[in-house]
Amino acid sequence: MKKKGAIGMTMEATETTLPVPVQERQLTPQAVLGATPIVPPDTVTGRSLTIVIAIMCFLVSLTAGFVYMIQQSASAWLRDIQSEITVQISPDPRGAAETDKKVAEIADFLKGQIGIAKVTVLSSEDVNALVSPWLGKLKSFEVLPMPRLLAIEIDRANPPDIVPLKAALEARFADAALDDHRRWRRQIQTLTSGLAFAGLAVILLVAAATVAIVIAAARSAMASNRSIIEVLNFVGAEERFIVRQFETHFFKLGVKAGLVGASAAAAVFVLMPLLADYFGGASATDAEIRRFIGSGTLDLTGYLILVLMVGLIAVICLLTSHFGVKRILEAQNR
Amino acid sequence: MIRFENVGLRYGNGQEVLRDITFDLLPGSFHFLTGPSGAGKTTLLRLLFLSLRPTRGNAFMFGRNVTKFTPAQRAEMRRRIGIVFQDFLLLDHLTTWENVALPLRVRGGKVEDYAEDVTELLKWVGLGDRMRAYPSVLSGGEKQRAAIARAVIGRPEVLLADEPTGNVDPQMARRLLRLFIELNRLGTSILIATHDYQLMSQYNAPRLQLENGRLHIHE
Repeated sequence: MKKKGAIGMTMEATETTLPVPVQERQLTPQAVLGATPIVPPDTVTGRSLTIVIAIMCFLVSLTAGFVYMIQQSASAWLRDIQSEITVQISPDPRGAAETDKKVAEIADFLKGQIGIAKVTVLSSEDVNALVSPWLGKLKSFEVLPMPRLLAIEIDRANPPDIVPLKAALEARFADAALDDHRRWRRQIQTLTSGLAFAGLAVILLVAAATVAIVIAAARSAMASNRSIIEVLNFVGAEERFIVRQFETHFFKLGVKAGLVGASAAAAVFVLMPLLADYFGGASATDAEIRRFIGSGTLDLTGYLILVLMVGLIAVICLLTSHFGVKRILEAQNR
Repeated sequence: MIRFENVGLRYGNGQEVLRDITFDLLPGSFHFLTGPSGAGKTTLLRLLFLSLRPTRGNAFMFGRNVTKFTPAQRAEMRRRIGIVFQDFLLLDHLTTWENVALPLRVRGGKVEDYAEDVTELLKWVGLGDRMRAYPSVLSGGEKQRAAIARAVIGRPEVLLADEPTGNVDPQMARRLLRLFIELNRLGTSILIATHDYQLMSQYNAPRLQLENGRLHIHE
């Protein structure tokens, strides 16, 4: 003031006896430089809000990760099934030698067809292994009239037309039956669509609950900052300045809390195979669960989805504070 | 500078709390605003400070009609008016120095440009050794002086003070009055809302008396 000559003189007010020194709080370097954040970064309501947001981000990330993982696993499953067809050949009543001859003829026929990449004749051991979950260690191939199986890999770049192929095969070889897994595929598609829909519904519900809780918590945090908004408003701060202070504060808070929640969810996905082993052991159920949800871990895209959830949460916080400050300013400037 | 013409104010559909208020605040003037509790002193100050809008009449500030202010214009006007609140409204998480510097900080000024001004003003109001103290450890009189320093740091053309001596002893009240008089001598128009007749008797200034929502001017 003095150098600009406005209030440059010593005034009688300085005659006042100097105040008795009292204990001052420990000052941060920012406070000494006059750069303490206008919105206090660490308050009781701020801490509660951080915890609430972290928990909600954990839940929403967990749900999103699970749905993504199941979708990925189901898609991979379908891709595998679509790229393979099976041909069953009934055993020849004249004996195994005749059956082997017929199998070789059919394999040659199939190899000559357009769009067939590979034909594999399943050995008796392979077939025994396939039926072992139902028949146990019984040597079924020797004691039962088991059909022979051909696993046919389709050229994905140039797939065959299955309907005429099936017709041609079955017309030429009466004992052969082609199965393109269509029924099985349809069932999986129905199942995965149902799961995806249910997952999406859960995500939407969790997201809606998250939004509602975050908004409510942010509003209560905003209410505790009402006096700051009032002072800023009255010392001539422009609306956008005030709004920016709170947007920045709440965005940072959202990112911080969101990262905690999403990191916890990521840890769950990282640890899931270990947990599955620990709780599932080596049981058949464990294997089936793995087949159903894949390896139990997320790929890079999955983790990017978790990062996206952090961004989403932070944006919700930012928007809530934006509209919250505007509402308070409107009330103060009626 | 500030002109009110038949200004009225009502909340919602209720009765008018201020009726036909007409007065001028000229540059360099000094006024007391007085009246019994509940007469509308704080409401009139809020009108002057643009936190309320008149429901009738015309109010002009620095030549502009207040009813047509945009939020940006309102902020600009508030920079030309300093206000000292009855309850100080200091921010508890900022030091006294930072509280006083706040009006300059929100205008986007650099600390190095205003640091000297803030320090000097704090010394001038007798808070030279309390710059680093937080409001929670300041006495009532110290808080009041910090609030006054914050109100004048931006060199407002008008200073409005709501019961500035309400929380201090008579000796401190006299010192604060001297502070206002000195600011007035330096060119700031002053309007002090008070019902402290002892304070008003110490300085010969026109009184705006509010009674039942009407204003009477005693020169």
